[in-house]
Parts: sequence; structure tokens; C-alpha cells
Amino acid sequence: MAPRLSGKLAQLSQSLGLWEIPLTIPQISIRNFGIRSLNPPKPSRFNNHPGLPVLESTSTAALRRKAFSLPLRTGAIGIKKGMTAIFDTETGKRIPCTVLQLDRVEVVSHKTREKHGYYAVQVGAGWKHPRNMPNSLLGHFSAQGLSPKRHVFEFRVKDESGLLPVGESIPASWFQEGQYVDARSNTKGKGFAGVMKRHGFHGQDRSHGVSLTHRSMGSAGPSQGGGSRVYPGKKMAGNMGNTQNTVQNLKVLKVDAESGIVVVSGAVSGPKGCVVRIQDAIKKPWPEVASTPAATATAA
Amino acid sequence: MAALPTMRPLGCLRSLWNAPDMIPSQITRRCLSTVYSQRPKRVPLPQGVPEQFLSQLPTRMRPENAPKPIKVFNPPPSARKACTDPVAKVTESQLETLDPKGERKALFDYRRNPRSVRPGDIVRVTFKNGDPFNGVVLSIKLRGIDTSFLLRNELTRVAVEMSVKVFNPNIQSVEIVQRAQRKIRRARLYYMRSRKHDRRSVENIANAYVRQKKAFMGAGSRK
Repeated sequence: MAPRLSGKLAQLSQSLGLWEIPLTIPQISIRNFGIRSLNPPKPSRFNNHPGLPVLESTSTAALRRKAFSLPLRTGAIGIKKGMTAIFDTETGKRIPCTVLQLDRVEVVSHKTREKHGYYAVQVGAGWKHPRNMPNSLLGHFSAQGLSPKRHVFEFRVKDESGLLPVGESIPASWFQEGQYVDARSNTKGKGFAGVMKRHGFHGQDRSHGVSLTHRSMGSAGPSQGGGSRVYPGKKMAGNMGNTQNTVQNLKVLKVDAESGIVVVSGAVSGPKGCVVRIQDAIKKPWPEVASTPAATATAA
Repeated sequence: MAALPTMRPLGCLRSLWNAPDMIPSQITRRCLSTVYSQRPKRVPLPQGVPEQFLSQLPTRMRPENAPKPIKVFNPPPSARKACTDPVAKVTESQLETLDPKGERKALFDYRRNPRSVRPGDIVRVTFKNGDPFNGVVLSIKLRGIDTSFLLRNELTRVAVEMSVKVFNPNIQSVEIVQRAQRKIRRARLYYMRSRKHDRRSVENIANAYVRQKKAFMGAGSRK
């Protein structure tokens, strides 16, 4: 049998001598005689075609998602002074309320998207003797022409329009009567508490053979079938309280700018004298305020 | 190894061996580390060093790198000092609107005012909305804006107790129907809940009072 060119070469020769040789040679199909490549070409596992959606795991996207629930303006630092009640003169309804006092609240510095990755207003309140303050912190205040502050906290805002100028004071009239605020403070510390007090477990029987473990938690986890280990986050006895808690949607009932009093409805976490951070409620419509802070100061 | 018994008599020589002049005393045997030396005093930088010599100083000691004092600014006027008791201020402002003349406060200030309502009195309370309520005063709680009193009565043979806030704007009037019959020695008359001391219904006394009042005021001034 005469040697035959392989299929591809035969085609090549055909295309080269197309004009000389008439198309008498029949088409020979490419044959691989049952031999296949070990690494056949695979489609890419990754979405790399054009028209893909923009990634949602970037800091820009995170800020965009958060923008919906970030207040437009800064909050203030108050001190919880105690609770009392206010009677509604029309309905005669008694509303229990918490009295907060804002003491020398001033803007200390800003956090910006360009430098820190987010927008926030750093706010200080009270006064601390400069003797009791490290020089680095003292310089932080003095550089802005401010007195040393006892409490310093940040309030996140949506964008740069919410950055109140540094050195601006935040009076009690920053909040309007009738608006809603969120109050953030540390709860009362309860020390090392058992599971019944800390997590509301039911404890164990008074009798029926139970001895010395009436208030303990019982079993901490399943047996061998369930992994034979204690799962992370298991509720156990431990330190209770003194953790941050936010009470949402408290109505501002009364505002007194001269004495720095803000009266909010309901209870606020923590003991008397604790630091409470109040900011516009994120689950209520933003309060209508004048565009410039100077205008609010004159209006009050 | 123990000393041989034959050497025992020689033990008397030990005192000679331990004579103080033979061994140097502890005071004289001092090693280097125990020698006391005074801490070197910091030599102050001479004043008025010529400028060409300043470069020889370490950078931290040069006058331009001396620590600058931080200027401390004075705090603004304090709201805390302006109002030391904000809770009392809020309460007072409430009382000014709810009880401008201080009548309600005086009516229940039983510790100071001899004419006030006292525990054991029978009292009639009328509301702006709802029926009037009569009862014996069991207790008066003086708590500022939350001052309240507890009334006890029997309606349709069921004992009823009602706590009333004194400064509630819904209260129209509080009238003393009858004073306590004899001197009450306690501030809280919770013993009247026991069957032995229960006053039962005071509705008849209150109704008699209302009738008497109407007759006294005359038909013309009827509400």
C-alpha cells in the first residue's frame, strides 16, 4: 500500500496546488485513530466575559450599602442624670423619661473617606484636668484650640456634608423636640453571673434527685454523635452587663439649651452618670434641620 | 567523716584557729560590687554656648529641639455648673405647668400641711373623663412629680383599690369626704386589707356627702 500523507498535510498540498490539480482527490477527514489529548481544552471556570456586574466586596460598595443607614449629621455625648416622668397635658398620659445633660460638647476632629476610609465626626465632652492627660492627647485638643475633653467619641455620618466644622459646639438645641434619637451606652455591670440570670435558663429541679446543681446549666453539649465537643458561642456562666447597648427610637420630649438638658422618652441603658451617645434615629425619617449649624444656634 | 576520737583533745586548739586577728573581718573583705559610689550628677549644659559648638551636641540636647510647652485652652462655660440637678429642673418645670399655685402639692403634703389629706381619710376623686372614685386613703407616696395616693373601696361587694397620681391633669378635683375617726398612728394602712380591719364600702358616706354638698350649694349652682 502506497504511503499516504496525513490528513492535514494532504489538505495543505491540495490548497497549494489548487490550480494545477483538478479536485479529483476525495476529501480525507482528520482522523486521530482513537487517540485523544490528555488535557482537552476546558472552558474557564471564571466569569471573565465583558459586561460583568461591579464587585460588591470593595470598600466603596460597602460605603454605598451603609449610606442608607448612616445619619446625615453628627450626634452628641450626654450624661445620664436620672429618670422622671412627664405628663402629656392633652391626653393626661404619663410618659416615663430619662434626663440627659450635654456638657461642653464640641467637635474635635474629622474622619474622612480619603484618609481613614469613612466619614465621621470626633466629638468631645466635659473637661479633664490637663495634669491628668497624656501630652499626646493634650496636643490633639490644643492643636484645635480646644480645652482637654473627658469623653471623646466618634459619630459616623453619611458624607462630608455632615462634617460639622472642628471647634463647633453642639448645644442641646441640636436636637428638636419631637424628633427621634438612638441612645447608645454601656449597660449596668452585673459581675460574674450564672446561666439562669445571664441567659434565662430554667435551671434544674428542686428535688427528684438533683443535688447541689439547682441553678447550673446542665449539659454543655451533645455526645459523640454530635461532634463530641462544645460548640463555639455556647451560653455559659460569665461576666454579665457592662456591654454596649443601643436603645432605638427614643422621642425627644424636652430640650433646654442653657442647662444642656435633653429629655428622651423611656429608659436608657446604664447607671446614673454614665456616658450616653445620642444621634438621630436611623429607623425614622431624618429631622428637618436648617442647613447651617449657625442658623440652628440662632433659632434656639 | 566524723573526727576520730583520738583527735578530740586537739579540739581546744580550734579557739586559737578562730581568733579574730587570724581571719580578716567581713567589713574589710569587700568585693567590687559592694563599693558605694555616688550617682553621677547630671551636668547642666553651660549657658550661652556659641553657635558653632551646638552641632557637637546630640540633637535632642540642642536648644531648638527642647520640648515646647503645650498651650492649654480654657474650657467654655459649663452646662453642668449652670444646672447641677437637671432632673429636679425638669420636674419643677413640669409642676409649674401642672400645678401652678401649688394647691395639689399642699393637699397631699401630709408631713407639713395639717390641712392636707391624711391616710385614713375618705376621699372623693373626680376625673375629667370617667366616673368619680371614692375610697379610704391607704397611703400617700410623696415622690415629686410621681406623688400618688392609694384608695380602697368596695364596689358590688368586690374590694377595689386605685392608685391615683396627684399631678395627673386628668384629675379634676379631690375632696375630703370624711376625716379619719380617730388618730392614725401609721403612714401606710395596709392592715386595712385584712378582713378584721377592712372598712368595706364607703360609698354610702360619699353619697351622703354629695347630697349634703348639693343642698348646701343650692339648686342654682348645680353643675
